[in-house]
Amino acid sequence: MSRSTARPARALSRTLLWLVSCLVGLVAFGAEARAEDPATDFKQICSSCHTIGGGVLTGPDLREVSKRQKRDWLVNFIVDPGAVLDSGDPYAADLLAVAGQRMPNIPGMTRSRAEGLLDLIEAESVHEPGKSRFAGMQISDRPFTDRDVAAGRAIFTGETSLVAGGTACISCHTVGGLGGLGGGRLGPDLTRVFERYEDRRKLGVWLSAPATETMLPTFREHPLEQEEILSLLAYFENAMQKEQEDDAPRALVLVLLGVGGAIGALLLFNRAWRDRFTGVRRCLVRSAALSESARTPTPDASGRV
Amino acid sequence: MDVRSQISMVFHLDKCLGCHTCSVACKNVWTDRTGTEYMWWNNVETKPGTGYPTKWEHQGEYRGGWEKKNGKLRLKSTGRGRVIPNIFHNPSLPSLDDYYEPWTYKFQDLFDAPEGDDQPTARPISKITGKPIDVKAGPNWDDDLGGSPVYAENDPNLDVLTDEERRQLFAIERMVFFYFPRICNHCLNPACVASCPSGALYKRGEDGIVLIDQSVCRAWRSCVAACPYKKSYFNWHTGKSEKCILCFPRIETGQAPACFHSCVGRIRYLGVLLYDAERIEAVASLPPEEMVEAQRQMILDPHDPAVVEAARENGIHDSVIESAQKSPVYAFVKEWGLALPPHVEFGTLPMLFYVPPLLPVMSKMQGDVVVTESEGLFHDIDRARAPLNYLGRLFGGGNTGAVDYALRKQLAVRTWRRSVTVGDIDREVALRMLSEADCSIEQAEAIYELTALCTFEERFVIPPSHREEAIEMLEDPLEHKKSVGFGFLSGPRRGL
Repeated sequence: MSRSTARPARALSRTLLWLVSCLVGLVAFGAEARAEDPATDFKQICSSCHTIGGGVLTGPDLREVSKRQKRDWLVNFIVDPGAVLDSGDPYAADLLAVAGQRMPNIPGMTRSRAEGLLDLIEAESVHEPGKSRFAGMQISDRPFTDRDVAAGRAIFTGETSLVAGGTACISCHTVGGLGGLGGGRLGPDLTRVFERYEDRRKLGVWLSAPATETMLPTFREHPLEQEEILSLLAYFENAMQKEQEDDAPRALVLVLLGVGGAIGALLLFNRAWRDRFTGVRRCLVRSAALSESARTPTPDASGRV
Repeated sequence: MDVRSQISMVFHLDKCLGCHTCSVACKNVWTDRTGTEYMWWNNVETKPGTGYPTKWEHQGEYRGGWEKKNGKLRLKSTGRGRVIPNIFHNPSLPSLDDYYEPWTYKFQDLFDAPEGDDQPTARPISKITGKPIDVKAGPNWDDDLGGSPVYAENDPNLDVLTDEERRQLFAIERMVFFYFPRICNHCLNPACVASCPSGALYKRGEDGIVLIDQSVCRAWRSCVAACPYKKSYFNWHTGKSEKCILCFPRIETGQAPACFHSCVGRIRYLGVLLYDAERIEAVASLPPEEMVEAQRQMILDPHDPAVVEAARENGIHDSVIESAQKSPVYAFVKEWGLALPPHVEFGTLPMLFYVPPLLPVMSKMQGDVVVTESEGLFHDIDRARAPLNYLGRLFGGGNTGAVDYALRKQLAVRTWRRSVTVGDIDREVALRMLSEADCSIEQAEAIYELTALCTFEERFVIPPSHREEAIEMLEDPLEHKKSVGFGFLSGPRRGL
């Protein structure tokens, strides 16, 4: 008995071990393969918030950054901005105060990649402001039309697929006024994203190369097109405006609806199953006791009936 | 004609003294186990009263038995439309409260209590939770009209009475009641069998006993809901339903069932009836007023050569036919028309028959003295103390004719015997009453003999069981003879 079960168990554990080592190998290989050249890194990772000589976006303009801060500090910050920010470093605190947003930790960032990025930034800093190839993309500032909003909504919900084959926003995000069950809950609610990024360029540039842990791997190979970004911006702006107009306390409405619905459902069930069996003896005894007490006259003050 | 045999029963209600010996005998033999504490395969109810479980006759609540819809018979409790939405909860089951929470007493306290000023008491303890309980109900809570304003007044059968009749009945409620012993009726059209989704219930071919196969039962409890007499119970310990088995192990060995055997008042009769199974559906579909008579027509005369021939063709053994010819049940039900089925309107064609009670006045109060007197001993049936309508609702499917017939005949027989033995009644009057009650002198004597002087063998005419034939119906006993076996199909188990 024990021998027959021990043998498959040992075989199973060996298979598991093999599978685990394969997985570890794959992950290591993947991390190795991700080490790319600094130009691509900047485009895919940094450019969503930074420019080189293109002005301030979400993050500061990085032109001549190495003149402003020591290289060692910069490398540390790029590798693990969270740790530096949390360490109470005064310079990092200033940066945070100006930007208003914490720089996210970049998945797979190493010291050597950070060095490469700094080298690149130094090399590009020789250009005049605005002349570098990393001066940041320009977002058209034409006024948005209703068609832009509609197209943006279609892109968001996935009715129109993204040209480069990216995932539709709705799978992870939701936006107020989407109707139905809304969108996904994995990513943040984007109703007020336009407001958060302050202007359309910052948000637009961010969308061109989203650099968060979840979005970077998803969109690195499938970047959004210029036109798609514009439509989405239109949609987000519109969503924000509508939200501002309709600022009713949503949570309260939801709670009230829920309570009302529950009561309604209970009443409906009670009506539907009104002739259900609820026990016989107890009701019988209770009603008999009621009619008995109604029949018996209560004694008056003198104790006489 | 599809002749089948059924072991059938008669309870003579005028002889029942309400001692519950039958219930106790049954309990000791069959339901003295964990999970069966609340089961009373045999119970004795006081009428008027709500019985056990409370108000079991009220099918508006319990949805037991059959109903006729669109010309077809269907179960009240189940049916495709009702089963699917209620698949996780059978909605018409009596709750524990409608039965009662079984209890015992903490007798050990009587021995262990430390010395003190008070006598030690044995507190009631729930047999389910083991915790002390406040006993609020029992299997016989309304015995002898106990708690009448609660229980007796809610007897569903009282609905047919007028307000005036009701008032009269309850003005003398302390004096008029009778006992109603009940076991499984082993019906011809059993709702429990029809309702079981697992097919665990079956009616035995050879003697019509309805049984639950404990290895097939899957705890649906449909039988509990479907049985209008609430004689199928759910064992909460084993998760299977159980019911009266008419003591088939005793019957197969020629003994009367425990409740029959122990009956102090000798009210119980048992014997074989031959019936025509082809007519079951037609009879069950009739309006209830016609059902008593129609069911009686279904029962066949075992002396009729055509019936005997058809019975033999159906494989009924000659000894069973012989037994049917001597059956006391046949005499009471068919020949004399004295015994009637309970609540035929439920449509299950019960095969336990009751002789309705005459309820003679035994004594009355004159001033402060109790006087036993023969004057007016037998009252006028039209002004019976238990109203005829009430008995008609219980035993006639709402039709008082059959009850009236049975009561008149009993009265006539009693009057006749009184004129013979005591002689204070004019012979002419007695004879006139007999002829008015459709009863010959010979029949009156036979009724008297079987009612008052019956022996054990006359009350219980148990047919030989012929298990060998029953087994042959299922498998060939010689199938494995001389062949090499594979050992036990299921290993022998020893011990408990």
